[in-house]
Amino acid sequence: MPIVEQGYQHWSGHLSGHRWRWLTVAKQGIRVQFRNRFLRYLLFAAWTPAFILVCALSIWGLVERKSKSVASIIQYLQFMNPHVIYRPQYYSSQIWQLSYSYFMHVELIFSMILVLVVGPGLISQDLRVNALPLYFSRPLRRIDYFVGKWAIIAFFISMVTIVPTIVAYIFGVLFSLNWAGSLRELPIAIAAVAYGLIICISAGTLMLALSALSRNLRYVALMWLGLWFITGVVSDVLEANHHQALRSDYRHQFPIHDAPIPGAPPGALIPLNRSHHADFLTYLWHAKHNDWRQLVSLTGDLSRVGDHLLGTNDAWQRLAKLEPNRSRRMLLLIRFGGPWYPWYWAATVLAGLFLLSTGILKWSVRSLDRLK
Amino acid sequence: MDNQESTAPIISLKNISKTFGAVTALDHLTAEIEIGATGLLGPNGSGKTTLIRTLLGLIKPDNGSGTVLGLDIHSRQLDIRRQIGFAPEDDTIFPGVHGIESVAYAGELCGMPQSDALQRAHEVLDYVGLGEVRYRKVESYSSGMKQRLKLAAAIVHDPKLLIMDEPTNGMDPAGREHILKLASDLSSNKGMSLIFSSHLLPDVEAVCRRIVVLSAGKLLIEGDISELKKVHSGSFELRLKEPPDAFIEHISARGCVVEKVGEILRVAMPSGEGPELLWRQASADGLQIRHLRPQRSTLEEIFLGAVERR
Repeated sequence: MPIVEQGYQHWSGHLSGHRWRWLTVAKQGIRVQFRNRFLRYLLFAAWTPAFILVCALSIWGLVERKSKSVASIIQYLQFMNPHVIYRPQYYSSQIWQLSYSYFMHVELIFSMILVLVVGPGLISQDLRVNALPLYFSRPLRRIDYFVGKWAIIAFFISMVTIVPTIVAYIFGVLFSLNWAGSLRELPIAIAAVAYGLIICISAGTLMLALSALSRNLRYVALMWLGLWFITGVVSDVLEANHHQALRSDYRHQFPIHDAPIPGAPPGALIPLNRSHHADFLTYLWHAKHNDWRQLVSLTGDLSRVGDHLLGTNDAWQRLAKLEPNRSRRMLLLIRFGGPWYPWYWAATVLAGLFLLSTGILKWSVRSLDRLK
Repeated sequence: MDNQESTAPIISLKNISKTFGAVTALDHLTAEIEIGATGLLGPNGSGKTTLIRTLLGLIKPDNGSGTVLGLDIHSRQLDIRRQIGFAPEDDTIFPGVHGIESVAYAGELCGMPQSDALQRAHEVLDYVGLGEVRYRKVESYSSGMKQRLKLAAAIVHDPKLLIMDEPTNGMDPAGREHILKLASDLSSNKGMSLIFSSHLLPDVEAVCRRIVVLSAGKLLIEGDISELKKVHSGSFELRLKEPPDAFIEHISARGCVVEKVGEILRVAMPSGEGPELLWRQASADGLQIRHLRPQRSTLEEIFLGAVERR
């Protein structure tokens, strides 16, 4: 039987407007991505830190209420300053800030992996199989296409950053039963959401730009890994060298007259005594306020902006004040706080990368209005 | 009202020009395309693709005005693309999806609700003969199947106007026949207007009632194919049962100009003579005429004539 005899029915439904057309692209992309079993496992794994955050805030809520149910847990919190344990309500904001900060640091790594799994094929595969004519010959603008593709990455990053942030806030509030206090912590949750959005915007556009540069998704994945790992490694190496240089400078500026260690080779560095150590750490901490080397790292930049939003450094400074020993105080700030360079340096780098990404997208993904 | 709508042109272009640097793709083009199937012909670089992109609202002309389905090409590009189905020339698919998903996605991109798009995708895949492979990844489709998939994706939202750009390029004879049947059925029986752009004149002739011929961005000819294929007075096509060599010699001696095209003889009669001369000579030679009719221009002749005249 000829095919044409199988019939063709007219369709009399209504076609919707153009405003939400990007959502169609996003929904389709998310549907396709969810077929990837590895991605589902990864999402599951990425929710583990979220579970820990929820538990931490819930337990802290109970600690604030001096609940008997957490009396046995308090003995495990002895690593914290006694002031914090005995007057938890005074340090609630700092605990929330640091909990969210640690959580976001871990989720930033998961976000990078998620982007690596989800992102490379988003545009490169469309370029490889020449799908753009199918998109742009329909009522879809380039901006709808880009926003739709970006929303796919944003969805998965949000699933491990923004959504757990909100869930953790709700649980933290429910367990503390302190409504006034919960409003006080609301800006921290909002800051975490804003940080999640910044990760979505920055990592999302950057990955889309990389995806538009090659038709081979393996190359795109390698470029992303390079951007993530290599910039991180370079930043760490530069920082280590700088640290060494600072140490050397410090010795030149403030010569130390301790007796050499018996048996040490000539020219070996003489260990600092306790007083010198505190001075050196203070010197180091001040020097870190102008250290641009972490700007080289993409995740370093994101972390710096996130720490600023969450007020992580302020929290550490307040907790450090509880420490009577200057050396330990400075060590706390250097080891756990920071980076200390101005946050707007990192924001400028991220803004520059965003502009570069949009430029690449504009240049690489053209509409059908060009001659072949 | 219905009458008015049915006679109004679906496409109306006035003085449309488009240049890309030094290249003039469309040169003060004025044309009206009526409801039904229209073939878009022209040599390479004649402006066909630019015209299609202009109709789709993907290119803004430098000057001139026009409407597609009554929608202004300058201000209603997205609305135009919503009303049109387009099957591009390029080998193009949505990656990583099954056939059914691909067509449903195309419908959703045009604004169809998700459930309607899925239901329609099943229907149109059955219609184009891909029902059996609807759950196969589109990457595994043959080129003929991909052409039919593009057609299914173009008609899933039941457009009023379908534009097919070189739909039979690189297809085997059976696949080509299939696409032509579908295109012909859509335009003749389903009330869908069709613009059929192709280099293959027999394909255009098999599907279209009218043609528009472009060259160097200008309109050369437009009109009904049946009207353009005019009868040549004094020229005839005939076929004999027997070998025609002696016959050709005899009528040539009587002033006829004979051209042999396969088994067919094209004979231009001398002035004042009619087909009786051919009958008489065949009878005198003891030959049997199996076919005799006035000669008409072929579409190829019309096309080449138009391009050469320019």
